[in-house]
Amino acid sequence: MSQVNDELLDHEYDGIREYDNPLPRWWLGIFVISVVFSVIYIPYYHFMGGPHQEDEYAAEMAAAAANAPKVEKLDEAALQKIAADPTRIGAGKALYDKHCVACHTADGGGLVGPNLTDKFWIHGGSLTDIVHTISEGVPEKGMISWKSQLSADEIRSLAAFLHTLRGTTPANPKAPEGEPYEG
Amino acid sequence: MKVEEFQYDDKVVRKFAIATVLWGVVGMLVGLLIAFQLVVHQLNFDLPFLTFGRLRPLHTNAVIFAFVGNGIFAGVYYSVQRLLKARMFSDGLSNFHFWGWQAIIVSAAVTLPLGITTSKEYAELEWPIDIAIAVVWVVFAINFFGTLAKRRERHLYVAIWFYIASIVAVALLHIVNSLALPVSILKSYSIYAGIQDALVQWWYGHNAVAFFLTTPYLGLMYYFMPKAAQRPVYSYRLSVVHFWSLVFLYMWAGPHHLLYTSLPQWAQTLGTTFSIMLIAPSWGGMINGLLTLRGAWDKLRTDPVLKFMVAAITFYGMSTFEGPMMSLKSVNALSHYTNWTIGHVHAGALGWNGFLTFGMLYWLVPRLWGAKQLHSTKMATTHFWLGIVGIGMYVMSMWAAGIAEGLMWKEFDADGRLVYGTWADTLPTLNPMYWVRGLGGVLYFTGVIMMVINLWKTAKSGTPVDQTDSAPALEPVKVEGGRLHRLLEGKPLTFTVLTTVAVAAGGAFEIIPSLLIDSNVPTIAAVKPYTPLELEGRDIYIAEGCYNCHSQHIRPFRGETERYGPYSKAGEFVYDHPFQFGSRRIGPDLHRVGGKYPDGWHYRHMVNPRDTSEGSVMPTYHWLADEPLDLSMTQAKVKAMTVFNVPYSDEDIANAVENAKAQAAAIGKRLEEQKLPNAQDKKIVALIAYLQRLGTDIRAEGAQ
Repeated sequence: MSQVNDELLDHEYDGIREYDNPLPRWWLGIFVISVVFSVIYIPYYHFMGGPHQEDEYAAEMAAAAANAPKVEKLDEAALQKIAADPTRIGAGKALYDKHCVACHTADGGGLVGPNLTDKFWIHGGSLTDIVHTISEGVPEKGMISWKSQLSADEIRSLAAFLHTLRGTTPANPKAPEGEPYEG
Repeated sequence: MKVEEFQYDDKVVRKFAIATVLWGVVGMLVGLLIAFQLVVHQLNFDLPFLTFGRLRPLHTNAVIFAFVGNGIFAGVYYSVQRLLKARMFSDGLSNFHFWGWQAIIVSAAVTLPLGITTSKEYAELEWPIDIAIAVVWVVFAINFFGTLAKRRERHLYVAIWFYIASIVAVALLHIVNSLALPVSILKSYSIYAGIQDALVQWWYGHNAVAFFLTTPYLGLMYYFMPKAAQRPVYSYRLSVVHFWSLVFLYMWAGPHHLLYTSLPQWAQTLGTTFSIMLIAPSWGGMINGLLTLRGAWDKLRTDPVLKFMVAAITFYGMSTFEGPMMSLKSVNALSHYTNWTIGHVHAGALGWNGFLTFGMLYWLVPRLWGAKQLHSTKMATTHFWLGIVGIGMYVMSMWAAGIAEGLMWKEFDADGRLVYGTWADTLPTLNPMYWVRGLGGVLYFTGVIMMVINLWKTAKSGTPVDQTDSAPALEPVKVEGGRLHRLLEGKPLTFTVLTTVAVAAGGAFEIIPSLLIDSNVPTIAAVKPYTPLELEGRDIYIAEGCYNCHSQHIRPFRGETERYGPYSKAGEFVYDHPFQFGSRRIGPDLHRVGGKYPDGWHYRHMVNPRDTSEGSVMPTYHWLADEPLDLSMTQAKVKAMTVFNVPYSDEDIANAVENAKAQAAAIGKRLEEQKLPNAQDKKIVALIAYLQRLGTDIRAEGAQ
C-alpha cells in the first residue's frame, strides 16, 4: 500500500473525518478478477456449450452404470441353499428388524404391510419372487424398492429369514391376502 | 450565519436500545431451545406451539427483525440526528415507529407459534401484519427523509447513503414478496406459484440479508467505528466505489439459493456470477472499517467496544467471502440443504450483527444514560471472549456437520447402493456436532446476559440525558464545481432516485422475464391441481412448518435421484401457491413421497415417528390424529385458487366440501384395513392426502 497518502478531506461530520486514500490495488485486483470470471463464465455456459445440469446428471448416471457390479442371477435352488444357511438367516433377521418391522411387525404378522407368516403371497411366494419384490418394490402398494439401500446378498439373506417365518404363529395376524403358494 | 441551538431526541434512541436488548435475549433463547430439539426431540414438551417447525420462524424473525431491527433503529436515530445536525423530523412519527414496530414483533410472537404463517422464509407473517410492516416502514421513511429536508449539514456522510439504500430496498423487497391473496383474516396465498414464487422469495430472502442485515449495519459501522476509535475513515474514495457497487450488485445474487433446482439456467448463472462479483464490494466495507483503526491498534487491548467492532468487521469479511464460495455450483452441490448454511448465516448473525450491536450498545448506553463510564470493562471483555469462543464452536461444528452430511447423502458403496440408505443412519454422526453447537450457543448467550447486567448497572449509575448541540442553519446556496459525487451528496433527492434505480435493476431484470416468458417454466400436461382435501392438507403442512425440516425439490444428482426418485421439474410446481422447496434437510426430501408408503405408514409416522423410523428426531404429531378437520374454508380456498387461473371448474368449486369428504372417507377406510383408527374427520387424513399426492402426477406423464 505504497500509495497511501493519508490526505484528510476538508469536511467533517459530527467530528468524523475522512482520508482520501486511493483504492487499495489488491482490492481493485480482486474486483477485476471477479468481473473477468463472470465475463468468461456466462458465455462458456450459455453460448459455448458448457455442460448444463441435465448434462452433468446424465454423465454421472452413465459413469455409475458403467461401474455397476454385475450381479449373478441365482436360481431357486441356489436361493434355497442360502435359505438353509444359519449365518445368512441371522444376517437377514438383523436387516428385517431394522427395515421391515415398521410395516410387517416384529413377528411378521403384518400391519400396514401384509402378513408374511401364512402361505398366501400377493406377488409370489417362491424365493425368486420374494427377492424380486424386495429388490424392485411394489410402488403402487407402498412397498418401496430396497435395491438402493440393500445389496443383492443382503436381499437374499432377508429372503432367507422370511422363509423361516412361514408357518409360525404371530400374536396378531393380518388376514391372508393373495394366492396360496406351496413351496 | 445564525447559529441555532437544538436538542436531539435521545429518548427514542433509549427506547430502541432497550428493545434491542430485550428482543435479543428472547430471540436467542428460542434459538437455543430449537438447537437442542434437534438432538432431544422431546424438548417441545409435547406441545404443538413449541415444535421446531413453528419456533424456527419465530427465532429467525425475532433475531432479524426484533433484535437487529431495533438495533438498526437505535443506531440510525442516534447517528442520523448528529450527522445531519438536526432533531428528528417528528417526535410523533418516531414514537409511532417505535410502538408500531414493537406491536408487529408481539403479533409475530403470537401468530407464528400458533401456526399462522405464509411459509415464506423471513417473511412468514400473514397479510395484516405485512400491511402493518409496510405502514411502519413508510412512517420511518417519512421521518428519515423529513430529517434530511431540515438538516443543517449540507453533504450526506457515507452512513446516510447506506441508510437511504436500506430504506428504499427493504420497502421494495417487502412489498413485492408479500403480494398475496387473502382468503381470511389470517390466511393468504402468495400470488406467485412454484419456481416463480421461489425466485421472488429468494430475491427477497437474499436481499433481506443484504439490506436489513448488511447495509444498515455498514452505515452504523461508518458512524460508530470512527467515533469509538477517534480516527478518520480510511478512504472516502473506497466508500464511494464500494457503496455503489454493493447496492447495484447485491440484488442480482438471489438465485444462488436455488442452484441446481429447476430454476432456468440463465437465472442460476446470474446468481453465481453476481455473488462472485460481490466479494470486492463487500470487502471494501471491511477494509474501510479495519483500516480506520490504523494508528490506534493499541486501543484494541483495552477497549471492549473496539474489540467487538473489529471482530464484527472481521466476521463480516469472512461471511462475505464464504457466501460467494457457496454460490459456486460445485460447492453448492455439497453445501445446499446442509448445516453448512446454518454455520454460514450464524457467522454473520452472531459475529457481524451481534458483535457490532454489542459494541454499539457498550458505547451508546453510558452516553444515553449520562453515566460516567461503563459499569464494568472487565465484564464486557469477558462477554467478548465468551462470544468469540461461542461463535467458534457454533460455526466450526456446523461446518463439520454440513460437510459430513453432504458427503453422507452422496456416498455409494461398490455395489452401487447408498451407504447411508436410511435417513437415521446419518444422525449419529451429526449428534455430537449438534451438542457442540448448542454449547457454543449457551456460551454466547451467557455473554449476552452479562451484557444485560452490565448495561443495566451502567444506566442506573447515570441520569438519562438528551444531548444539545448547535450548528448554523443551512443557507439555500447553489453548490457548484468540485467532484461530481460530492455534488450528489448535497442533493438527497437525486441521490435517493439514483440509489433506487441501482437497487431495482437486478430484481427487475430477473423477476419480470421469469413471470412473463412461458419458456421459463415448461408445462407438463399431466400435472393437475390439488384436490380440495389435498389443498387443506397442504395448508396443514404449511401451518406446522414442515418446510423447515423437509425440502420438496430433488436436485439432479445420483445421490438424490437414487434416494428420492426422479429430479424435480419446474412444470410440477405450477399450482403451488406458495412454493414449498424448503432450504434445509433436517429430514428427507418429500417431493416424491407420494405413493411411496401406504396411508397407514404415514398415520403411524405422524403419531410417533419412531414407530416407523427408528432413530428419527421428528417430534410426535399425535394431535393431528385427534384434532377435527375443519372444512369450513375449503370452498373459499378452491375458489381463491381460480383467481390465479388454477383450472378448477364451477363444479369443482360447488362440490369442494363433498369431494373432500369422499376422499377423506376413502383414506379412513384404508387406515381401517391397516388396523388403524378410521380418522376420516381428523386433520391427519388431509395431510396424508397431500403427502400421497406429492410428486406423483409426473408418473402419468411417463405412462403416456
